[in-house]
Amino acid sequence: MLFALKLLQQTVRTLNSEGTPTQVAAGLALGSALGLTPLMNLHNLAVLALIMVTNVSVPGAMLGWALAVPVGFALDPLFDLIGRRLLLETPALIPLWTALYNLPVAPLTNFNNTVVLGSIVAWLLFALPMFFAARWAVVRYRASLYPRLARTRIFQVITASKLYNAYRLFRPE
Amino acid sequence: MRLVRWKAVLPLSAVLVTAAVLWWMFLDTAIERAIETAGAEIVGARVDVAAAHLSLRRGSLRIEHLEVANPDRPMTNLVELGEIVAQVRLLPLLEKKLIVDTAVIRGARFGTPRRYSGALAHPSPTSQRLRGMVAGWASRLRVPALSLEGFSTVLDLSRLSADSLRTVTLARTLASQGDSLAKAWREDLDRLDPRAELDSTQALMRRLEQADLKALGVGGARDLLAQARNRVRRLRETRDSVNRLASRVQSGLDRLRQSAESLPAARESDYRYARSLVHLPSLDAPDLSPALLGDLAVERLEPILYWLALAEQYLPPGLDPRRAAGPKRLRASGTTVRFPKARTYPDFLLSYGGADAVVEAGGAVSGRYAATITGLTSAPSLYGRPTRLSATRAGTGATPASGSVLVVLDHVRQPVRDSVKAMLDGVSLPGLALPVAGARVELGQGFFRLDLVRQGDRLEGSLAWRASGVKWHRADSAQAAPVAGAARGLAPLGTAAWARELVWRALSRLDTVEVEVRVAGRAGGPGIGVRSNLGREAARALRQEIGGEVDRQERRVREAVDRLARPYAEQAQRRIAAAESEIGAMVRERQAELEAARADLERKIQEATRRLPVRIP
Repeated sequence: MLFALKLLQQTVRTLNSEGTPTQVAAGLALGSALGLTPLMNLHNLAVLALIMVTNVSVPGAMLGWALAVPVGFALDPLFDLIGRRLLLETPALIPLWTALYNLPVAPLTNFNNTVVLGSIVAWLLFALPMFFAARWAVVRYRASLYPRLARTRIFQVITASKLYNAYRLFRPE
Repeated sequence: MRLVRWKAVLPLSAVLVTAAVLWWMFLDTAIERAIETAGAEIVGARVDVAAAHLSLRRGSLRIEHLEVANPDRPMTNLVELGEIVAQVRLLPLLEKKLIVDTAVIRGARFGTPRRYSGALAHPSPTSQRLRGMVAGWASRLRVPALSLEGFSTVLDLSRLSADSLRTVTLARTLASQGDSLAKAWREDLDRLDPRAELDSTQALMRRLEQADLKALGVGGARDLLAQARNRVRRLRETRDSVNRLASRVQSGLDRLRQSAESLPAARESDYRYARSLVHLPSLDAPDLSPALLGDLAVERLEPILYWLALAEQYLPPGLDPRRAAGPKRLRASGTTVRFPKARTYPDFLLSYGGADAVVEAGGAVSGRYAATITGLTSAPSLYGRPTRLSATRAGTGATPASGSVLVVLDHVRQPVRDSVKAMLDGVSLPGLALPVAGARVELGQGFFRLDLVRQGDRLEGSLAWRASGVKWHRADSAQAAPVAGAARGLAPLGTAAWARELVWRALSRLDTVEVEVRVAGRAGGPGIGVRSNLGREAARALRQEIGGEVDRQERRVREAVDRLARPYAEQAQRRIAAAESEIGAMVRERQAELEAARADLERKIQEATRRLPVRIP
């Protein structure tokens, strides 16, 4: 177990060599897709590949994922509503869905499920605002909050722990 | 800043390769689970697969030991398939479509026992809905009861009261309506009382007679004549009002008379009600067959209706988007929408399947069959041809028999046309329980015919069984009951033992049993009719045994009802007649008075006009 954790820490550290606010924000925006949309779907494999291959913050993506999971559960009724509106109640889009549904691979993404489609559309709509908001927040955090936090006792305890190894990945360079 | 993290490509590739290997390793398990889940969703009972193996190289799918539980009898399998070997097209799999060119089914057995229950804790909403629909139909269907128990020569009509009779209620309503209408009409007539007007008219006529028109001058004569003409106009208006009232009275009386015409129908209904209170059996043969075998007919029809509804649900005509519940997961399932498209593959298609099937003994269609199925698809409109299932009986060895089954589900376009034809001779027919006779009849080998046609929402057809050399047995409860006395005709009339013994004696001498169940009506809830020689024979025996007594008691029941209902019905008729005569006379009198006064006044005006030296406009 310890070995696995160490390996994970090492992998994360290796992959996340540059933790600029833009990278962290991009990671958060991409990672939120994993949490907002139902996980076991083909599009999330593509998102995961993007997180790994593009130079975004992997811990940022993991954080985005973790934060988005409860939001995803809470917003499922809304996603269902959006998906229903798009798939069933917009006649102009039906030819598009019909064509997609009868293409190879496309049906394997489950785009024809109301919750899947609704959550993907919601994520696409919020990804950019989320990216800019996160980047602004990280910059503000590193400029004003981090120096004060660093002086607190609890923070010093945490930095001495293993947990801090993971936290370091968010630390300003 | 570099956009691509090249050093992650290798781990990513490793992840993807691992995912592919895992997919490959667990593909067969995933197929098993998919078949079990989809099957349970469709059938509404457990579907179990021992093993499945997909060979992508050969494009073949092999399924071992598929068991489909019977949703009606969870400890029995609807079908158990030893092995299915299917040739599957690979490219459509990328479109999430399963196209099976051929399937060979070996070791198909129907009605086999299960080791554990096939009932689902949470059946799919679709199967629940369809099951609820069929159960609702069965519960709404009124199977007449043949209850001889309670029949007695001492007729207890104490529960029959005037308040419980429809005739009395209707008669009371009619009488009260007649009274209130007559009162309202009287008030209207009082408001239209023309006496004051007639008195004024008389006075005016006297003035016209006595007036010296020359002395009155042109102005005075003109005023007098104008007054007289106004009076004529007012008389006409009053007469018109009375005429309108007369029409209202007429239509009100018509309505009352119309309602009174339903009194005999209400009386018939009261006879039936009174009969039901005293357990008088109906002795008409068509009534006895449904009473004896109605429950059995419903029980046999329920699964047929369920499967027809299921076929309609899962083989829908047309190319409209189709909705289904999404996959079960931690997140909300949502709705999955399928978008069929012309000239593409349907989601599922079995072009041809062949099976060597065995239906376990004990059922109506038990035996060995060679079966083929063609064109089974989730989108019949795309396939363009009906689904056909045909099976030919191959005999059971010990009992040479013949028969054929043909099911055609034509859902290519609306309206859907389904037909089920089965004709089997020499098959083992199931026994029939006849609680009314406290008996059970083992039909043994016989003939079975099923002929159902569904077009759109209409369903029509029949099921029939015929067996010779049947064996009758006392049911356990009947044997346990003290029927020794009843067998010697000593059981008191009206007791359960007497009733069972009577029907037992009538039926147990029969050597042949014929049952025909006719179905007609809405596909979701057709009406049924049952005909059987059992019903005819039971009716004949009953008529012979107790026919005279039943007729006599029926007369007494009718007399009791008449005694209670007649005074009220007569009173209602009297009130209506009284209202008609009284109000009619009043109206006619008013009309006559007004008409006479108007005619007199007009005559006086003419006479006066003639007496004038000059013409006054």
